[in-house]
Amino acid sequence: MELREGDEIRGAARVMTRERMRWYVDALPTVEANDGRVHFSVPTIHDDDEYARGQGLPGIISDGMISTNWILDLMIRSFGPAVLEDPGALTTKFIAPVYEDVPLTCVLRVTAVHALPEDRRRLALDVWAEDGAGKKVTVGTAAVTLGRA
Amino acid sequence: MATGRYTSDLEAGDRLGPVDVVISPFQVREYCHANEMHQDCFQNPANPIVPPTMVHLEKLRFYTLYCPEGCGPNARVHYTFDVRWHAPVRAGQELVVEGVVASRHMKRGREYMDVDITIHARADRRLLVEYRDTVCLSYREAAKDAA
Repeated sequence: MELREGDEIRGAARVMTRERMRWYVDALPTVEANDGRVHFSVPTIHDDDEYARGQGLPGIISDGMISTNWILDLMIRSFGPAVLEDPGALTTKFIAPVYEDVPLTCVLRVTAVHALPEDRRRLALDVWAEDGAGKKVTVGTAAVTLGRA
Repeated sequence: MATGRYTSDLEAGDRLGPVDVVISPFQVREYCHANEMHQDCFQNPANPIVPPTMVHLEKLRFYTLYCPEGCGPNARVHYTFDVRWHAPVRAGQELVVEGVVASRHMKRGREYMDVDITIHARADRRLLVEYRDTVCLSYREAAKDAA
């Protein structure tokens, strides 16, 4: 893929459903337990309406790491898993809450292309996730190395 | 040292770890499945690559170890995720994970905490991953704005 500064890659929109929020919430104790079984989280602002309202929210909001992982997923889909083999970076900032059933689209925009030896390139990217109205809810930057033989 | 109770008790300079860690294929597959990351590199190999986003769970590991009573009076909210990976981490690899509370600071009337975490290969002490995690500890104030 020949990319230039200003090029933009947009992922397919995904709706931040209650199920997607819960999958992430319950993945955390499941991964922590590491015993091959599913474990369930204590109530959180990401999966329990009453708990979320008790924290001053109108309802559950998604964990910011879901949008971060969706951005990483778009990076891997766009550039291949080799971007995880070479040095790289990803920074995200969660600037607005994502409520239930909000559609999110992840976007990568090339901000710089640096030539490297052996015909390799280093891409600098702006990354973000936006809602159905185009409002950014997660923003950040990323860097990947392309061209691994 | 302010470890031992709530996350909100942590103070700048508190050391977290080092701990020896081996991430299992099960952990990688479960985490990636929950995030709908079904790429072959995560789901099929015997020693799948660990997505760099999983470093966030090392912070949670430290919270469990050092702050067993939870987050404190208010829910904390994750504000910034900042990772740099220097080489791939694979399931089954012996790792050394350590962290430090880098700062607690006020910004626009809210309190934030930065935790820096590194992952080294146990075999040769190579630096594999650097991570800075920032949480907002004044969650109720943030929630009022969000609502």
